[in-house]
Amino acid sequence: MKLHYYPGCTLKEKTTNLDDSTRAAMEVLGYELVEPENWTCCGAEFPLTEEKIVGLAAPTRILRQVELEGGDKVVTTCAFCFNVLKRTNEALLKDPLKHKRINAYLRDDIKIDPLTKKKTTDFAEYHETVWVLHLMEFIKYQIGYDKVKSHIKRDLANLKVAPYYGCRLLRPAGEVGIDIPDDPHIFEEFLENIGCEVVDFPFKQECCGSYISVSLPDAASEASYQILRSARYCGADMLALSCPLCYYNLDRRQDRIKERFFDFTGMPILFFTQLLALALGVDEKVLGLDQHYYDPRPVLSKMHKTEVVS
Amino acid sequence: MGNRAVKPKKTVSKSKDSSEKRVPIFIMGKKYEVPESLTIQKALEYAGFQLIRGCGCRGGICGACGTVYRFPDSYRIEVGLACQTVVEPNMYITQIPFFPANKATYDLEKLEPTGSTVMALYPEIFKCVGCGTCTRSCPMDIDVMEYISLAIRGDIAGAAELSFDCVMCGLCTARCPAEEAQYNVGILTRRLYGRHIAPRAKHVAESVENIQKKRFDKGLKTLKSMNLESLKRLYNDREIEPDMADEFWEPEDKKYIIVQ
Repeated sequence: MKLHYYPGCTLKEKTTNLDDSTRAAMEVLGYELVEPENWTCCGAEFPLTEEKIVGLAAPTRILRQVELEGGDKVVTTCAFCFNVLKRTNEALLKDPLKHKRINAYLRDDIKIDPLTKKKTTDFAEYHETVWVLHLMEFIKYQIGYDKVKSHIKRDLANLKVAPYYGCRLLRPAGEVGIDIPDDPHIFEEFLENIGCEVVDFPFKQECCGSYISVSLPDAASEASYQILRSARYCGADMLALSCPLCYYNLDRRQDRIKERFFDFTGMPILFFTQLLALALGVDEKVLGLDQHYYDPRPVLSKMHKTEVVS
Repeated sequence: MGNRAVKPKKTVSKSKDSSEKRVPIFIMGKKYEVPESLTIQKALEYAGFQLIRGCGCRGGICGACGTVYRFPDSYRIEVGLACQTVVEPNMYITQIPFFPANKATYDLEKLEPTGSTVMALYPEIFKCVGCGTCTRSCPMDIDVMEYISLAIRGDIAGAAELSFDCVMCGLCTARCPAEEAQYNVGILTRRLYGRHIAPRAKHVAESVENIQKKRFDKGLKTLKSMNLESLKRLYNDREIEPDMADEFWEPEDKKYIIVQ
């Protein structure tokens, strides 16, 4: 089954492991992921100023492309892309003036005919018919955990995984939230249903430092340290997440965290899709496990003892 | 726009064929009547402007004559190369032959063909808001926004291919709200592609080897010692490859063919 999938720039450059594992897992579940043609960066940040709507142009164009290609859903795995696309959709739906202004602008987009190389100027408007879904939501509401369970090839019961939401998947509540921001469960449900042992910990919605990582790296490494320490004290072997920036702060910054905090021992950080793909029996080689700063393979080797041969 | 200090001549020379229909155009806001078959560049010269910059190959390749124009009944900004665009009635024209652009200095040999390289040299491309103005203002019909997008996500080969037709006129840069220099990013990706990604051409390496082995030295020496007359004769009497020759064609005199 074909499904529109918006990977986002980071998945093509810095975190190809998130992209590769998503594709591999969805293939097992019977979905062919189609990227909207000529997609661009979504902007990564939803415009924070109400009047500055130019930032809505790029995400609207992406959604319009999905609509033009006949799609009614678009799935993302990057928490930032999900946040921007979903909020853009909501903003256009709620505010007819925004819808009008952005569409008036996009109507002048130039489409270049690939054969004649001529500009065709009439472009459709976006009608807000596309449903923006995070992959975790798609699995819960569209595929169903029962179907996922029926495809499971590896037993992950030995893995103690702490789900880390971060902020982009949950906030702002009402606009984005894949679950209730103060008491989310969807990630736990997901991990339980692919067979992991879920470790609840109090820092699962805390901020990892996000892009303050660029200007004040130590602030980000401290925030990340708190999260990882909390997960470790609650008994987790590893942290699962969905956001490439959280991944950067929590995984790549571990060298800096080690320098600053003597009690820090390191913890593997995995994308939820890598765990899903592992459970579905995908070859480990395609999951980019060698790209992690903290190599997750020694911890993952725990599960091999109980691997289900099918 | 040529030298703006040079005042257009007062007497506009008349077209040889006075029967040709003339159309009104506005060059930097001033009205001129020019023959309808002229390109913008010819029209500028017809109107008396002397072009010493903003004019190069006159063949649509060099990108020196980027031009923007508008019609009174439309809000749209149209673009074209002055040497390729024929005048239309009531065009309001100005040339933007050059636009200042951030240009990174780099040693191509030391670069890797990745998105991180582009990010280090042109970090401003990450400010792209996806407005699409660059694509709208490209006279070569390149999807500029898309190749910048490919560069952002590290697809160097894709960006190089998509930006291949770029003539570096700078109109995209002139209009970018994120203050990017798209055309310099484009040429960076093409250089990265050419140096690090594209397969190496075997025959070039072979030719270089032959030169280094001095296999052409004897012939070169002979040519250098010849007088002008015999050189001319040699050139005129040479065996010419037929137009429709296939790749297996060889000259009858094979003494200059080098077999590896």
